[in-house]
Amino acid sequence: MDHSSSLEKLLRSVAITLVLVFFLFPIVWIFLMSLQTNETILRIPPSIAFTPIIDNYTALITGQLRTAAGSLQLNFMQNMFNSVLLSVCSVALSLVLGVPAAYAFARFKFRLGEDIAFTLLSFRFAPALLVLLPLSLYFKTLGLTNTYIGLIWVYQLICLPLILWIVRGYFEDISPDIEHAYRIAGNSWWRTFTRISIPLAKPGIAAAGLLAFIFAWNNFVFALILASADKQPVTVGALAFVTASGIQYGQIAAAIIISITPTLALALYAQRYLVEGLSMGAVKG
Amino acid sequence: MSQLAIKSLTKSYGAFKVFDGLSLAADAGEIVVIFGGSGTGKTILLRLIAGVEEPTGGVIEIGGHDVSDIAPEHRGVGMAFQNFALFPHMSAAENIATPLRAVGAAEDKVKAGVARVAKLLKIDHVLNHAPRELSNGQKQRTALARALAAEPQILLLDDPLRNVDAKLRFEMRLELPRLLRQSGATVLYVTQDYKEAMALADRIAVLANGQFVQMATPEDIYMRPATLGVARLFGDPSINTADTAIVADGSGVHAAVGGTRVPLADSYRSLAGRDVIFGVRPESVELGSSGLEAEVMAVTPLNERTVLLLQSPSGWEFLASLPSSAATIPEAGSRVRASFAAAGTHIFDRQTGERLDG
Amino acid sequence: MAELDITRVDKIYHSRKGDVHAVKALDLVVKPGEIVALLGSSGCGKTSTLRMIAGFEEVSNGAITLGGKAIHALPPAARGVAMAFEAYSLYPPLTIGENMSFALKSSRLPQAEQEKRVKDMAEMLEIADILNKYPSSVSGGQQQRASLGRALVRDAGLYLLDEPMGQLEPQLRAVLRGRIKHYLREHNCTTILVTHDQTEANALADRIAVMEGGVLQQYATPAELKARPANLFTGTFIGEPPMNVFTADVSATAERVSFTVEGGTTLSYPASDMSEALRGRLAKTPRIALGIRPHALQLGEGPVKGKVTACQWLGDQTHVAVDVAGRTVVSVSQERVSRPTGSDVSLNVAARDLHLFDAASGNAIAHGGTLA
Repeated sequence: MDHSSSLEKLLRSVAITLVLVFFLFPIVWIFLMSLQTNETILRIPPSIAFTPIIDNYTALITGQLRTAAGSLQLNFMQNMFNSVLLSVCSVALSLVLGVPAAYAFARFKFRLGEDIAFTLLSFRFAPALLVLLPLSLYFKTLGLTNTYIGLIWVYQLICLPLILWIVRGYFEDISPDIEHAYRIAGNSWWRTFTRISIPLAKPGIAAAGLLAFIFAWNNFVFALILASADKQPVTVGALAFVTASGIQYGQIAAAIIISITPTLALALYAQRYLVEGLSMGAVKG
Repeated sequence: MSQLAIKSLTKSYGAFKVFDGLSLAADAGEIVVIFGGSGTGKTILLRLIAGVEEPTGGVIEIGGHDVSDIAPEHRGVGMAFQNFALFPHMSAAENIATPLRAVGAAEDKVKAGVARVAKLLKIDHVLNHAPRELSNGQKQRTALARALAAEPQILLLDDPLRNVDAKLRFEMRLELPRLLRQSGATVLYVTQDYKEAMALADRIAVLANGQFVQMATPEDIYMRPATLGVARLFGDPSINTADTAIVADGSGVHAAVGGTRVPLADSYRSLAGRDVIFGVRPESVELGSSGLEAEVMAVTPLNERTVLLLQSPSGWEFLASLPSSAATIPEAGSRVRASFAAAGTHIFDRQTGERLDG
Repeated sequence: MAELDITRVDKIYHSRKGDVHAVKALDLVVKPGEIVALLGSSGCGKTSTLRMIAGFEEVSNGAITLGGKAIHALPPAARGVAMAFEAYSLYPPLTIGENMSFALKSSRLPQAEQEKRVKDMAEMLEIADILNKYPSSVSGGQQQRASLGRALVRDAGLYLLDEPMGQLEPQLRAVLRGRIKHYLREHNCTTILVTHDQTEANALADRIAVMEGGVLQQYATPAELKARPANLFTGTFIGEPPMNVFTADVSATAERVSFTVEGGTTLSYPASDMSEALRGRLAKTPRIALGIRPHALQLGEGPVKGKVTACQWLGDQTHVAVDVAGRTVVSVSQERVSRPTGSDVSLNVAARDLHLFDAASGNAIAHGGTLA
């Protein structure tokens, strides 16, 4: 029986509200913190009533942090730039390498194919710290420590498996007949790949790219060990707010708000690709 | 010279043999229907010819040339798929235009070409629609139009009417022969609907167990099936069968069927003593005042015919198919006498299933 | 062996996008022992109706009684209804035989009787050799036969069969139809069969309820449906190949009644071929829809002239498509005829084979010269 009484509807709304509060509360709280001084944040008991200030944001953008103990230089905008550069380049490289590889794994049966695909995924099983010690030694020898190239390379450990496995699934969902039809119509393999397979897997590629971007953006450990101040992303740069004169909660909150903005914007933009149907009714049913 | 020739083609997936030496030659403009049940590899055969899959052995020749080393895009074939396989991100017109664009035709040539096949297939009014906006019938016509657009020498049609409703399937069945003739292409048409096969084919190639068991005109296939298997595949209702043996004595040649003696042509005398299967098509069962006595178990109308399930006193069940316009249709529970018209009667070897002629 | 009464039943599905009225004021009586088919294309309301009878769906309005007892508020198990599902729904961990005997376990039949029933049913459906196999290891057709067997082997007041033969092997279909019809008769089973396949409905049913858009279009015997369709929908829906339909201008005089169809062809009949009431009606109706079944359109001498576009022999009948002034009409002959493509032919149709419909509403006006 598929009737839903008004009681059921009420319970459902209550449940949804609870979930929303649970997930959104921290974000709202952080946003409120970012508009306050350390004193108002730390007062007891806490209160929602305060005079909003934008000093935290201006401090981050101008790079001048004035505290009771004096003035401090901040690298936040440089960190932000590093984050964008590292994430964008890593995802771009992963897409260039991962999408054709995903296609190959989806379409061609070759010897050890499954094993190779699995090995690539297994990179994500190992704890990052396990990989880091030998890696930092190699990087020293190769001269890759504290370079963008080195970091982007290491970030492939995060991005590539994700893209490979998600996009592979999307390629597998495209009927091979659609590709066959395009080839028989007189097009080369490469044209078929670029004109048919890639456009049809676009929702999957967008989803995988977005996820990879978020993972890269949020990475902490790799950059902490392998990069020094001028190459560090925001995640590591946030450590600078733990100062000799105390923890700058207001600035940390403002930094978090600024640093989640790009991923949030990207997620909202990519949403329509994520929900767009894959086959769009070309094949029967 | 045949337009399309297949010579001792084999295809295996690991230890599983799909084709075990297929050979076929089709002339320019000929319509050959590849007929077989599901899982007989009909679609794989088309894929091998199109070049999107590679054979394990054997040769495929198009226009007299071995095409083993020619990529699918250069084989000059057009293909329509059972699931339509339209490009979802292109309009119907762009779908149809792909084979023309692929050869770099000028824009006005492309437009003219699309317009020509669209008119032929009566889809001119939906050319700007995306595939998802088309009805199943329109999708199917778009897929056909795309296959025809570049006027290929070889046209491969993989059960194109499978996924459209009965009414449309019937309309297309009447329309297709003219369309295919106009295209001038050599057509390989795959189906598992025997009526479609008979309606469209110049020749039918019946595929079973990795081989063509019979390759002949619709008339030969229906009137002179090479094996019991072929006889069973063609005809609705399917052919009635009974295990029996041929007896020849002073009174003539006959076989015991359902507890009575069915007289056979004298030419079967040489087969006396053989264990055989007697087959008679339901429409060749005639009800009258003489012959095998039987009880009518059920009366089941079938379009303009009426099918009777009959049972002889010995327990042999068989079907009779009468035109519904027949003077009298017996009722369930009544008793009738049935005889078998020679034209629809066939004798098969019980071991091999092969047709035996007197 | 009970009568089923469906009285003014509605089914309305509520959703955010608005209400869907799937079944509209359905009245249907199935007499004890009668086999009734609910026939229609997908979305016509037949499956909703079946699910309401079985109890998987609530009725929005109206009542359903079985053997005089209202059942529409009862849980499915208490309705005394046996059902064969389109998706088979066999229990995967049980063998085919166990699946079939499962429904008998709760009955008080002696063990030997249960076993005999399952065995007989399996023989009738040609699955005796797979009784020990599991559903996953047999073909779709065999699973469907097992599902059908599981429903029929029970004693129930009503048998519901949802697309019961769609997956059956074509070679078996005709024989099984005959056997099942014989079985249902023999055991006096009240049966409702839901199908989109008119061949199946015609073969099995005593009466067919044709549904479209949630509305019962016509409820009649197969022969009646063919001979006297209530409207243009049933007329064109029932019959394979479908009926040829033309719009025609009518001219009725005291001597002759003529129909001029698009393209200018005129079919003319002596007034005596039509009943007086019909002539009176036609005198007031200048424009009608004229339906002619392909089997009634005879090749030979006649007023309809055209060129053959296709002539297809199917073993036991021939389909001929003829282009008449730009329109394709279809003629079916029970014999083998062969007319080359492009040849000129004439077609004729007798007054008794004409179906006249109102051009606007599609409701039947007359069949074979008498008012509908």
